[in-house]
Amino acid sequence: MLRKKVPRLLQVFKRTSHCDRQQYDVIVVGGGHAGTEAAAAAARVGARTLLVTQKIQTIGALSCNPSLGGIGKGHLVKEVDALDGVCGRAGDWAGIHFSILNRRKGPAVWGPRAQLDRQLYREFIQSDLLSTPRLTVWEGSVEELMVEEPNPEKPGRHQVTGIRLGTPISARSVVLTTGTFLSGSLFVGQTSSPGGRIGDAPSSAGLSHTIRERLGLRTGRLRTGTPPRVVKNSVDVSLAKLHPADLNPTPFSFINTQTRCKPEEQLPCYLTFTTPAVERVVRENLHLNCHIQQDTKGPRYCPSIESRVLRFPGRQHQVWLEPEGLTSDLLYPQGLSTTMPPDVQLRLLREIPALHKAEIHTPGYGVQYDFVCPTQLSPALQVKSTQGLFLAGQINGTTGYEEAAAQGLVAGLNAARSALAMPTVMLSRTESYIGVLIDDLVSRGVTEPYRMFTSRAEFRASLRPDNADLRLTLKGFEELGCVSSERYKEAVRVRDTLQDAMAALQSLSALPHIWKQKLPNIEISENKSGELTCMNLLLYNDVTIEMLASVFPESLSPYMEFSQRLKIEAVYRPHCDLQKREMARIQREETMLLPEDLDYFSLPVSLSQEVREILDRVRPTTLGAATRLEGMTPAATVNLLNYVRFSNRKNKIHNMCLRT
Amino acid sequence: MHRLSCRHSSSLDGASVGMADADTIFALSSGHGRCGVAVVRVSGPASPTALSCMAGFRRGLMPPPRTAVLRSITDPHSNEVLDRGLVLWFPGPHSFSGEDSVEFHIHGGPAVITSVLQALGSVPGVRPAEAGEFTRRAFQAGKLDLTEVEGLGDLIHAETEAQRRQALRQMSGDLGRLYQAWSHRMKRCLAHVEAFIDFSEDELIDDGILTEVDRTVAQLQAEMEQHLKDERRGERLRTGVQVVIAGATNAGKSSLLNTLCQRPAAIVSPIPGTTRDVVDTALDIGGFPVLLSDTAGLRDSSDLVEREGIRRAVERLEQADLTLMVVDCSHIPADVQPAASFLREHLHKLMPSDQCLLVLNKTDLIADSQREKLAVGLQSVPGLPPFCLISCQTHQGLTDFLTALHSRVKTLCGNPLSGSPTLTQARHRTHLQRSVAALAQYQRYRDADLALAAEGVRLALTCLGRITGRVGAEEILDIIFKDFCIGK
Repeated sequence: MLRKKVPRLLQVFKRTSHCDRQQYDVIVVGGGHAGTEAAAAAARVGARTLLVTQKIQTIGALSCNPSLGGIGKGHLVKEVDALDGVCGRAGDWAGIHFSILNRRKGPAVWGPRAQLDRQLYREFIQSDLLSTPRLTVWEGSVEELMVEEPNPEKPGRHQVTGIRLGTPISARSVVLTTGTFLSGSLFVGQTSSPGGRIGDAPSSAGLSHTIRERLGLRTGRLRTGTPPRVVKNSVDVSLAKLHPADLNPTPFSFINTQTRCKPEEQLPCYLTFTTPAVERVVRENLHLNCHIQQDTKGPRYCPSIESRVLRFPGRQHQVWLEPEGLTSDLLYPQGLSTTMPPDVQLRLLREIPALHKAEIHTPGYGVQYDFVCPTQLSPALQVKSTQGLFLAGQINGTTGYEEAAAQGLVAGLNAARSALAMPTVMLSRTESYIGVLIDDLVSRGVTEPYRMFTSRAEFRASLRPDNADLRLTLKGFEELGCVSSERYKEAVRVRDTLQDAMAALQSLSALPHIWKQKLPNIEISENKSGELTCMNLLLYNDVTIEMLASVFPESLSPYMEFSQRLKIEAVYRPHCDLQKREMARIQREETMLLPEDLDYFSLPVSLSQEVREILDRVRPTTLGAATRLEGMTPAATVNLLNYVRFSNRKNKIHNMCLRT
Repeated sequence: MHRLSCRHSSSLDGASVGMADADTIFALSSGHGRCGVAVVRVSGPASPTALSCMAGFRRGLMPPPRTAVLRSITDPHSNEVLDRGLVLWFPGPHSFSGEDSVEFHIHGGPAVITSVLQALGSVPGVRPAEAGEFTRRAFQAGKLDLTEVEGLGDLIHAETEAQRRQALRQMSGDLGRLYQAWSHRMKRCLAHVEAFIDFSEDELIDDGILTEVDRTVAQLQAEMEQHLKDERRGERLRTGVQVVIAGATNAGKSSLLNTLCQRPAAIVSPIPGTTRDVVDTALDIGGFPVLLSDTAGLRDSSDLVEREGIRRAVERLEQADLTLMVVDCSHIPADVQPAASFLREHLHKLMPSDQCLLVLNKTDLIADSQREKLAVGLQSVPGLPPFCLISCQTHQGLTDFLTALHSRVKTLCGNPLSGSPTLTQARHRTHLQRSVAALAQYQRYRDADLALAAEGVRLALTCLGRITGRVGAEEILDIIFKDFCIGK
């Protein structure tokens, strides 16, 4: 049910300096989308968890756009929710404009999305964390990580044993989710200042130092940006195109049947376009913009207005004007991310008709920050060379709230399992977008901020938003331990009901001419001999479960609650069946583990020097990941397979930490 | 109207064709070359189907296991009799691969082999095997012991190398260019559909791009179907083991060619750089078909024509199954150790493939004692390929050379994948057919479900990619970001 938990007294938070030496199972550093999911997941698994953040009031802050979900990203939100995460429920609480993108393009690529009320979102996340058992939240800036000699029983060159926050606080696992704060610099025009988000203090230099110097992790630099926030009253929305929300808001969470916002209370968005004058302002002022002139990699798919007009000149570019909240007096101009000096930003904005009198509340700015090359992580998001250290979110080179939340959940889950002496776990790219995301990160690395697209998932027909619960909730309870039993019971009921319903649809049949009589509006092909089942009928575009229920009322009426899911299942099942064999192959290869400390240069199998170098550099965790590396040959794969098979058989005890 | 509405077909069977990893595989298991009987192996769950529909067994009435039965072998679609031969049924796990398997023992002529392979490729769920796939399956099923397993990687290496050379040969021709062009157009289609799926809600992506994709997909379907119907198939594939004669200028390469084909096929002269183009001659060496190519001598040259000749020579070297590296032995140092280093450096410079036979020519120019010294001394030098000392002038040592050449060619022919155009053709044909079928899935779902329509193009590209090379998700994204301004 849709609910917001009652927050405990705020004094629980305010323990900044005088903390005694304490012992936790898991410490999560950072209170953004990755950090909150990580902390919540770790606590759900059963770990005594501490979340440390610079400012408690910014926990759950939406630093950039006031929205959640979208195409590909909506899949991630549904999956995080299916694993009992927070962001889906928070979205249902804070959403003020819900829509399903790609409605006309097929259920596999539907993109559930919502505009959010920033304040409601933050409040929900904060109160949810506060009422999570075993989770404590402290305000403070982490000075450095405590690093010790590794446990010789396990692979790794170092061991992280806690953090220093004035005094040391020890933990078995530490999850870093520092976002853009790692050596972050903010840019507006020609000025730059240290920091990861405007209005917040920069993070400690000690943390960057530990990561680079003490732990020897390879880092790179990325950039991103955010648009100016515009005063709502100063915008002439009559000059923009009204874009209403869906009439019936669809909740993100599998446990919600409705959103907090009533359908009629939803706020609209507005669509408007850039003009040639915008391009002129950008061109005339390029010399005043040091962010854009540097060659740090920015995202190709969320570019600043500067890069948009420079790369695709002479065009109109879309600008969405999005509400920031029910009571907020600001609008968010999506698509106008810029790092121009504030006065130029204002001139640029006013070249857009609907914004001709616009006032800027906060100027846009750019951020450059360090990320840790994610090929140094295992699929559990643990740093391979460092025992007890997990990373999630932008620190791994991704962009987006949903990508961060997904990683946070996996890192928190594994940090807790590792701390509680349980084997770490991974999600496969054959079962989830989360698996695709993490596999792409750890086996390919990033060259620009990584964002999810549906085209990255090779099993898109199977990994749909509608069935995320069937894919993950059951496993989440039975194998991972991060799902509550109530949610599990509900997922089991859903699964069993769907199975019964599919069996019923398969068994109910009639001759074509009977169907023609019953459903005169459907063109049923005559040349089919024999009876047609309900399942066959559902493959016709216009046939719905409701129509079939009118023909077989007593058999099908128990399943009407799932009518949409059943229609989707029926259409997609043949395609999913065809993908199963390839999925099984990938899953088999993913269970073949390569020891993390393997010395590829001395491995007594026939491998070329080139292949050995690739393997040594990337250190794939499984044979599956190894086969997807560029430069791997079929022969090398087979030789490696032999090695894994025989060495695993010989030495099962000295096995690695990953077991699915 | 080229668009098929979902309404006109009531089952999804049509959509299931063309799946990339459907399961049952076949391959010519005997070597190619002159042979009386050829063996075609089929392995996987659809093997019984293949046997019943091609050898006239009713469903469920299979021949006794592991017993040869004489049958007419027919095309499952046209019912045309292709050959009469023996068929064997090996129910799993008692088979080489551990799976249900079938063997067809048919007559060894290329026409018969090709027709049977093509017929097999048209059986639903059956596709040509990839390199080493039979062995890999046997390995997975635990049918190989440790010593056999250790050789598996090398075997797959040899097979993929042979396939790579084969593919290079074909890809440098018109056929290759045609397939590459199709692949390129499909890639763009997929990128545009994907862009429309992932970005059109937020971005200015014109609906017109889908109309363009519709048009291209329809054209591709038509062109590919026409190509599949065209029996001439555009280009005659070069058949036989590719043996390339290479070496420095004036080492006697053309003389060797003329000696081998017993006629002056190439012009010989004492002037370095006489041969400027590749001279091809088809030969029969001990019953095996060989395509022997003489190439321009490898040296730095400023002459444009000669440089082009050298480029062609290098290209041919890369595609060679076997290289005959010719060296003028009067240029070799007299002592064994310096001679060995000289040869090693020479080979390194001219980059022959790992399949190489060293021909030390012009023994008539050195003393007999020197020849003996090299013959004995070089034998014990590690790291040198097998060598022969001959004289094209006096034919001294020619018999030994021919024996060595024959045995190398025989080994190469024993590998059914090396240089076998029939198998390659059958493989290409199957992949092309599946690619066309997958494009139909695009048409079928175009209006109802764009995700499933895109899946069709993706499958078509995967099938074609088995001929032209794999296409990854990143490549598609690159096209998207090049063609569209994506900025949320």
